[in-house]
Amino acid sequence: MSGTSAAEPLVRVEAIHKWFGSLHVLKGIDLSVQPRDVVCVVGPSGSGKSTLLRCINLLEEPSEGHVWFEGRDITDVRTNLNEVRTHIGIVFQQFNLFPHETAIQNVMLALQKVLGYGKDEARGIAERELAHVGLRLKGDSYPGQLSGGQQQRVAIARALAMAPKLMLFDEVTSALDPELVKEVLDVMKRLASEGMTMIVVTHEMGFAREVGDRMIFMDEGVIVEEGRPADLLSNPTQQRTRSFMSKIL
Amino acid sequence: MAAPGSAAGVGRLSRWRAEGTRLSLLAGLAGVGGLGATLVGPIVLVIVRGPTPVDRLVNTLHSGQLHALFVAGIVSGAVAAIVGWGSYRFVPTKVAREQAIGGAVLGLQAVIISALLLKFTSGNIDKFATNFLDFRVLRPHLGEFGRAAKNTLILALAGEGIGVVLGLALAVLASSKRSVVRAPARAYINFFRGTPLIWQLSFIYFGLIVGFKINISVYESAIIAFGLNTGAYAAEVFRAGIQSIERGQLEAARGLGMSYLKAMRYAVIPQAVRRVIPPLMNEFVILIKDTSLIIVLGLGVKEYELYAVGRNLFSDTFNATFFVATAIGYLVVCLPLIRLVTALERRLRSGLVGVVGHSMAEA
Repeated sequence: MSGTSAAEPLVRVEAIHKWFGSLHVLKGIDLSVQPRDVVCVVGPSGSGKSTLLRCINLLEEPSEGHVWFEGRDITDVRTNLNEVRTHIGIVFQQFNLFPHETAIQNVMLALQKVLGYGKDEARGIAERELAHVGLRLKGDSYPGQLSGGQQQRVAIARALAMAPKLMLFDEVTSALDPELVKEVLDVMKRLASEGMTMIVVTHEMGFAREVGDRMIFMDEGVIVEEGRPADLLSNPTQQRTRSFMSKIL
Repeated sequence: MAAPGSAAGVGRLSRWRAEGTRLSLLAGLAGVGGLGATLVGPIVLVIVRGPTPVDRLVNTLHSGQLHALFVAGIVSGAVAAIVGWGSYRFVPTKVAREQAIGGAVLGLQAVIISALLLKFTSGNIDKFATNFLDFRVLRPHLGEFGRAAKNTLILALAGEGIGVVLGLALAVLASSKRSVVRAPARAYINFFRGTPLIWQLSFIYFGLIVGFKINISVYESAIIAFGLNTGAYAAEVFRAGIQSIERGQLEAARGLGMSYLKAMRYAVIPQAVRRVIPPLMNEFVILIKDTSLIIVLGLGVKEYELYAVGRNLFSDTFNATFFVATAIGYLVVCLPLIRLVTALERRLRSGLVGVVGHSMAEA
């Protein structure tokens, strides 16, 4: 498993299954993520990577199995998921910014309505987070007035403003024009270097190799292989991993 | 192409002349002239000769000048239609083709309308004019019509106000994933959409007075009925709006730790409301006219709205001009709203969804 010690993992996923109707999308996934780990999840489309990610903050409810966050079973029905989700930031492929709010209002909204910050305090945090992603001057722009890369950075700032302990990234550069990918990846690299725990579903193998502590290759709802990104990329042990890597590299 | 603005307008006019051919210009001008003679001519004639008293109006309607206008409309329109139709495929420029087609279509309209009006004014127009167009009888009652228009608007605005609030609440319930929450909302919506408003008005009025022993006025009861009825329709409009918001919006809000209701309130509903403003205003226009059904409850003189005042004056005088005035009253109230709906729809379609009515999201 992971290279770090046997300390309490931040996230532990145990034997989760997910069915959509008769479609068996996740077929018994186990995964632990230690604090400060950057775990990259790769695999062909339809392999269940995004579903796995969304099971970790329970945007999708696993059909079977458990998810522990900070030692707490958050698949227990008695868990207050709204509270748990304030500690887990998620960024989506399609940004999902609120189009009727400006960039800074997007960042402030949950600070005020979920964490209960006053307007001035929320604005202060939001300004800091926007500056953090290099968008100090774009606070009053509406999402429709920003480029895809800028929108995605606002979405990252929105998640970071909640001071999460874990960040989930769901193919966050896949909807971007090629020239806008780097600005988003740069923000994520810096975040990793600052010690954020991250689970990153991605097709950016360069990013995974450079930033990832661990890489997981999924196919058809199972984890086929996991290890150091460099190992998985250059000499995978499984045939399926090898054939996937040879197609995309 | 030319940008909008008056300078560009002049440019378009000169291009219009330069790029037209002789035939296409003939078709275009004949079409415009024919329809003008049909629609504008008679109005000008009636105004110049004076619309009252009714004898003078009848004289005008019988006059050779009016009939000459209609004949001119028919002839000019026919020329436009024939020349335009015959030439539009052979003219060399796009401008000329639009002139030819436009002229042919306008000409056809002129021919049809002129022929109908000619036939109509050749009949027993005295009787019609005395009964429907005796505008002199309106003068002493203009104040009543003004009050009636105000009453119509009060009924419609109050009903719509209740309906929008109720509709939004019902829409949230009807969008729930739990069938026990959806079912009562659906039952309510289907009941009020499935029974006639006229029945709801009577049933609620007598039901409240008899069943609940509530001493309620006709207006209060009717406003409740209009509100309950509009609520059902508004609920369907809002529900469609809520369902049109991409699922990712709800997920993003939930992902930030918002409860379902907070996510709806702050992320989904502000967007949904903006999208459904045009259809909601359509419902409002429908309600304005449906307030006329209040007449089944029986009204005091000061409670007359536009339809009741027209009907009452008609039954006093047997002069249907009052009904014409009622129709004009409804048009005066509704047409600006209809134009506003069209303008809003255009604005929403042009992609300004994020900016339109932003202040409404604050609350």
